[in-house]
Parts: sequence; structure tokens; C-alpha cells
Amino acid sequence: MPNLGAYPPLVRGSVQVALTYRGRMVLWVVTGFFPLLLMAVWLTVVAESGPPAGWTAGDFIAYYVAAAVLWHLSGQHVVWEWDADMRSGDLSSKLLRPVHPFHSYAAWDVGHRLVMLSLLLPALVAAVLLVPGLGYDVDAPRVLLVVLAVVLAYGLSLLMASTVALLGFWSTQTTNVWMLWWGLGSFTSGWVAPLELMPGWLRDVSVVLPFRSTLGFPVELLTDRLDAGQTAVGFAVGLVWTALFAGLYLLGWRRGVRRYQAVAG
Amino acid sequence: MMGGRVEPVDLAVATGRDDVPAGWLRYARVLGICWRAAVAQQLEYRADLVAKSLMSVFWLAWAALGVSVYFRFTGDIAGWSYSEVLVVIGLFFAVNGLRQAFLDPNLDLMREYVRRGTLDHVLTQPVDSQVLVSLRHVGLANLADPGIGLVLAGVGVAMSGRGVSVGAIASFVLLLAAALVLLYALVLGLMSLAVLLVGAEDLGSVSYSVVELARFPVQAYRQPLQTLLVVVPVAFFTTLPAQALLGRLEPVMLLVAPAVAGIAVGAASVGWHRVLRRYTGASG
Repeated sequence: MPNLGAYPPLVRGSVQVALTYRGRMVLWVVTGFFPLLLMAVWLTVVAESGPPAGWTAGDFIAYYVAAAVLWHLSGQHVVWEWDADMRSGDLSSKLLRPVHPFHSYAAWDVGHRLVMLSLLLPALVAAVLLVPGLGYDVDAPRVLLVVLAVVLAYGLSLLMASTVALLGFWSTQTTNVWMLWWGLGSFTSGWVAPLELMPGWLRDVSVVLPFRSTLGFPVELLTDRLDAGQTAVGFAVGLVWTALFAGLYLLGWRRGVRRYQAVAG
Repeated sequence: MMGGRVEPVDLAVATGRDDVPAGWLRYARVLGICWRAAVAQQLEYRADLVAKSLMSVFWLAWAALGVSVYFRFTGDIAGWSYSEVLVVIGLFFAVNGLRQAFLDPNLDLMREYVRRGTLDHVLTQPVDSQVLVSLRHVGLANLADPGIGLVLAGVGVAMSGRGVSVGAIASFVLLLAAALVLLYALVLGLMSLAVLLVGAEDLGSVSYSVVELARFPVQAYRQPLQTLLVVVPVAFFTTLPAQALLGRLEPVMLLVAPAVAGIAVGAASVGWHRVLRRYTGASG
């Protein structure tokens, strides 16, 4: 992709905006406790009926703490940015810039995720130190693989969200379409529950669908639940979907931008 | 504006009309006018409302299916079977939908009032400012939620195989009313906070978070979280009304819940008027 040189200043600008609204970022972190809610119920199940499918309390805590962190590092927020700009006509000014709007939104999102990361990483380290039974048995190669998987997860979710956002050229319902897409996908992403605890057929389709790559795969990698073969398949599936959505995005953009009529300036 | 204390003006005098009713009826009429305007404005986007209602149904199904994963491994969670948890989820949608329809839009407006200084204008209206700031706006986007939520609660009760007595329904209605009053008090408290802090960010997400915790019966959480959620008071929103509907309520709660709601709304109202006394105006 061209225009990579445009990223550093755009990201820097976004970081500064995000830092200006620090309070809001902290609030996002605090109100993003939904995975921990799901975890709390699992802990009750473990205490009452024993570990489901061998998952101990420690397994659930490790899984959901990682999922809660990763939830904040998704690129899906761009759907709302695109939608708002298409409605208000602010997209027009982005079209006049020398960088493709995709990069404007991506850089904006990357900057916000970086600030988020600066809040989340200390919180994660504190959690590992303070919560009894929470820990990740990792070595240097695994850390590297997890980082790669997280970058892939972010890239894929950003591309998926941007592709759905392009529907805004034809419809005013993009955010609803995205919620529907995400909601259905959440059964195969590891969000509703760890995939190992889902029915077998759902687990099987989740391996080939794109959603697991955005959440479940990096978390499973971090919690040491995948052998070498499964790890390779996970990366391959994620890369294929990333390429597929990149193609879909380009196609949608070429068709869609011709239809764009600014609503306002 | 000094002090921010405005005595309610006699509306008959203020408007020059003598057919203006007094007391509660007057507030009902004022709110009726406000709500009609809000509804008329939002009915311009009918396709949007239809789409939002369909999304409500989708999220309800999502929640009901999602929670079923737990029951692949256990028959009940802390004494709550799947069908009984469905009652709680249904009530969560009912309470949350009412919050989104009647409370959230006003909380959003409150942020605008404080940021732009238009609260001054609201305070000069000849009705109690509390009624106006807390109830003047309604949002239709999530108005399907209370209906479909109650349907799911009904389905859950039927699936649980328990009969429903008249007493159970009566106590359910009482506890649901207490839950809504309590939620109103919470939002009014947040509004006072918005004035105090001069435009605190995203207060809506605070009210959302507190209600979000009520997605599951509080007994599904382990201690000490469980006790904390009775104190906070998440348990009053869905767990207690669900227990009433299922005929498992501790009778003392029929007194406790209305008392807690009454005290909360009284305190929130006193708090609002106190905060206003310290408010010195923001617009130029």
C-alpha cells in the first residue's frame, strides 16, 4: 500500500486527540468489563459443578482477562467514524486529502488503540501480579507469536469493519449491519464463550470463519492451548481472510465512491 | 443568573391561559407536549426505527442463546435453571429498554445543557426543573426492548413449569416499579453530578454499566461481588422482580425494595435542588 509515510504524523495527531480525552479512554476501559462478567458466571459453574471440559478457575481467569484486553484493541470503531462522516458529509474533505480515507480512519484508530494499550498493559501486568492464580506461561518465541497474532487480529478486524463501512455508499444502516455481522460472528470468535466449550460443529466452522482470528486465536495462543499445527492453521486462515477483505474493500471502494453524494460540507 | 433558585411560576399566569390545570395534571400535560414533539421528530426516520426494532429482537435472541452455553455443563447456576435465567434476561431487556427510552436521552441532553450553558434556559421555565431535565425527552430507538423483554420473561416462566399466582404478578409489578424508580434516582444523581463536575464525560455509560451487571441473577456471581451488587443496588433491577415472578421472593423484599427506591429518589431529588442552589450559570 502506498502512503505509509503519512501514518506517523496522522497517528501522532490521533494520539494527541486521544490523550486530550483521557477521561473518556479510562471510562472505556472501566466499562469494558463484559468479558469479566461472563467469567464470573463461569467461576460459579466451576465452584458448583466442577471444571467444565477440564477448564479450571485459573483457565477461565487467564482466558477472559486476555479477551478483555484484546476487546479494546479491535479496529471495529472505524465503522462509526465512516458512518458519521458519510452522513455529515465530512467524508468530502477526507476525499480531498492526498491520502485515501481508509488510511485517515486507520491512522485515527491506530492512535487511539496505542493510547488504549498504554492503559491496558500496566493494568494487565498489575492483574497478573495481584490476582492469585492468574498467569501466562510464556517464553520469548510464544510472546513473538502472540504479538504477531494480535497484529493480525487488529488488521483483520480493521479491514472487515472498513469493508462493511463501505456499505454506507448504498445504505444508511451500516452500523446495524456491522452489529449483526459482529453479533453472529461472536458465537465463533470466542466472545460468547471459549470455543472449546462450544458445541463441536460450531467449533469446527469457527476454524475456517474469520471471527476466531480477531479474538479467540490470539487468546488461545497466549494461554498455550494450540499445538504447532493448529497455530499454523490459525495464522494461515487469518492471512487468507485479511487478503480476501482487502480485495473486497478495494472492489467496494471503486464501486461505491462513484455513488457518493456529499450531504453537507 | 444568581443562585439558580427559581420558584415555579403559576403557569396560568405565565401563559395567559386559564385552562391550564394545576399540580400533577400540569406536569402530565407539559410532558405530553414534550413527548409528542420528540416522537413526531423521530417518526421521520421510520425505516431506522424498524431496523432498530429488528436489532432489538436479534440481541434478545443473542443473549438467550449465548447464556445457554453455561447450561451445557450444568443444570442450574446457583439455583437458577436456564428457563429462570431467561426470565432475568427478559427483565434486563425490559429495564434497559425503558432506561434507553426515557432516561438516557435526557442524560445526553444534560451534558449539552451544561456544556453549552442552556441549563439556564431550562431553569427559567415555569415548571420544576427536575421534571423537565429528567423526563422531557424520549427516544424511540429501543422502545421494542421492554415489550420483547417481557415476552421472553413470560416464556421463561412458562418453560420453568411453575404456575403464576395473582400474588406473584402483583409483587412482580411492585418490584419492577421499584426498580424503575431506583434507576430514575440513579440517573438523576448522575445529572446532579454533571452539573457539579461541569460536563462529566459519558455519564450515560455509567448508567449503562450498572444496568449491564443485571444481565445475570446476582446469585450467579461469587462472593464478595454478590453482596456488593445488592448494595450497589444491581440486584433490585432484575433479580428481585424475577424472583417475585417465579414466586421465590423473600417476603421482606416487598417492603425493602419500595423503601430503598423511595429513599433513593427522595435523596436524588434533594440532591438535585441542592446542586442547583450552587449553580451559578454558564451561558453568557
